[in-house]
Amino acid sequence: MELKICHLYPDVLNLYGDTGNIVCMSRRLQWRGLGVSVTKAPIGSPLGLSQYDLVFIGGGQDFEQQVLLDDLHRGRDREILAAVEDGMPFLTICGGYQMLGAYYETHTGERCDFIGALDLYTKGSDTRMIGNYKFQCSESAGGSVIVGFENHSGKTYLGAGMEPLGRVLRGYGNNGEDGTEGAHYKNVFGTYSHGPLLPKNPAFCDLLLKTALERKYGQCELTPLDDTAELAAHDEMCKKLE
Amino acid sequence: MNIKVFFALLLGRLVRWILRVIHRGGTDMPGRIALKLCPQLLRYLARDVKTVAITGTNGKTSSARMVEQAFADAQLSYLANRSGANLISGVTTEFIMNATLTGRPKCDYAVIECDEAAAVKVFPQLRPQVVIVTNLFRDQLDRYGEVTHTLSNIRTALTGLPETTLCLNADCSLTASLAGDLPNKVVWYGLEKSAAPRNVPEPPVSDATHCIRCKTKYDYDYRTYAHLGGFRCPKCGYARHAADVAVTEIVEQKLDGSTVIMDVRGARKLVRANLPAVYNIYNAAGALAAVTEMGIDVDTGIAALGHFNCGFGRMEQFPLGKAGARMVLVKNPAGCNQVLNFLQDIQEHFVLVVCLNDRGADGTDISWIWDAEFEKLGLLGNRLERVIVSGDRAADMLIRIKYAGVPTERITLERSYETIVSQLADEALPIVLMPTYTAMLELRSTVVRHVGGSEFWE
Repeated sequence: MELKICHLYPDVLNLYGDTGNIVCMSRRLQWRGLGVSVTKAPIGSPLGLSQYDLVFIGGGQDFEQQVLLDDLHRGRDREILAAVEDGMPFLTICGGYQMLGAYYETHTGERCDFIGALDLYTKGSDTRMIGNYKFQCSESAGGSVIVGFENHSGKTYLGAGMEPLGRVLRGYGNNGEDGTEGAHYKNVFGTYSHGPLLPKNPAFCDLLLKTALERKYGQCELTPLDDTAELAAHDEMCKKLE
Repeated sequence: MNIKVFFALLLGRLVRWILRVIHRGGTDMPGRIALKLCPQLLRYLARDVKTVAITGTNGKTSSARMVEQAFADAQLSYLANRSGANLISGVTTEFIMNATLTGRPKCDYAVIECDEAAAVKVFPQLRPQVVIVTNLFRDQLDRYGEVTHTLSNIRTALTGLPETTLCLNADCSLTASLAGDLPNKVVWYGLEKSAAPRNVPEPPVSDATHCIRCKTKYDYDYRTYAHLGGFRCPKCGYARHAADVAVTEIVEQKLDGSTVIMDVRGARKLVRANLPAVYNIYNAAGALAAVTEMGIDVDTGIAALGHFNCGFGRMEQFPLGKAGARMVLVKNPAGCNQVLNFLQDIQEHFVLVVCLNDRGADGTDISWIWDAEFEKLGLLGNRLERVIVSGDRAADMLIRIKYAGVPTERITLERSYETIVSQLADEALPIVLMPTYTAMLELRSTVVRHVGGSEFWE
């Protein structure tokens, strides 16, 4: 069995160690004797999303945002939207997560249209929501407690039908107001969690891999790995955040 | 001289005296307190001092030590913030300790390294003759924000100093962009294509892929490391400027230093820098640009590069274990990648100690360790005998190294520096110590206690 992972916009969305998520997924597949290939899809390259089994989008700097939007609006937004509806597993972090929403409104009121695959939008604010944080995933997203590092000034608000990825236990999450963190829609997992997210949260990483493998191959069980080191780092941060 | 200055100086001295009595460094607090009383104190103390200031993400301390050695060899009287206290408080402390109580400076010259974010406060008061901007990379994003933000901070810091000469890294597209925005005289330094390593691939994570002026993707004639090299924007024409101090050939690169050929303002010179790795070749070129701009003879400047004392924790050597230890500070992915490259060049088996802290001065966000190419450790195979991880975030460092492909049985986690250092005392293999900033201060103290050496403020 093999997963084909697409790393979308690694050239501009590569902030805060988010590529560590790719490293983590790849290793955890390899350690189980499963195959993995990672294809980078930088700005301007053809996508062909349907050939992949999982898509990863990280966070980036504001500086390149316009370059990215121009590229998205050359038809990639429609392709991503279709893949989401088709049940393609996505892991999207911070800027990549916001990008799947409807739009971003700066605090001066300017609006950038995003992909609109998820019923959510983001508003710029002048507070920076920054620091280690933790949240509890909803049942449908595995129910585990996740530790990460958030660093965003955008406040994300979910539409009425949109499920959050989890509830904030400590920190800000989507907007620092309603206690929600991230979004979970079909097989899309969106979150503000840098850190990077997956290495310290192996259960969540495996949930993601299982989702992608089952979509491709049908029912499957993942061989358990020795996660002593990962869980030690997870528990240590959990304690710090009590 | 007014009475406020006098009291500020008196107070600063008093605070320093008390701190030294209780065995603290006192490299920062005296200035902080004195500035409260007299906010423009630094301007007053620095008014007649000719200063080279160094800022940028990486290489500040090493560059400062190179400039300092040239000052010493040229027999200039100078002061320097050697301890690494590089905020306005630390810089002011250094000037307080080198002034009479009437505010008269005891030195004619100064070598000041300055934090990139603090430059906005420091430079307008310091009014340096020469500023070296070494490079700009992503660094402690929780503290500095995006790299373009740091760049605009430096630009602001330099605005209002049109008399200052800028020594700019020509190969860093971010740093070089300062020239177009400011009226200052610029002395450029960099590596020519002939000196660049062959076929350096596009780095997996780059901080400047797109043109700082028009956001078009850069073309590169050659790369040296990270986003540095012969960049060129195909759309607006923004491109690398020819260097006045240009490294044209790398003759030899060894663990104890590099020998290169430089074209220094038109003269071809053989230059030896006694610190290894490409980034120190850049530092040497930058330092040479600055000291010659200050009127020091080229050959004096070159000689200084061959025998300067490296800064604390910058490839600093200790007689720890049977084969010795080197301490290399790491703070951000670009610097860390350079150290990881350096480790590739060690031919013997060795032991690595990595200490990761997440305190204020380190950056509270440690995700950067995943931007650094620790995978290179995995490729070392048996040459990497074992890795000890320590520091406040040792558990995170452990998983980073595990996922980098180092077998877990070779990695141990040990919290106590005391235990680590006493165990390493019997180590037969060479040791490389790789701490973050605050971890370095503690680890270095522990090492110094065991094998001798001076504390960071001495």
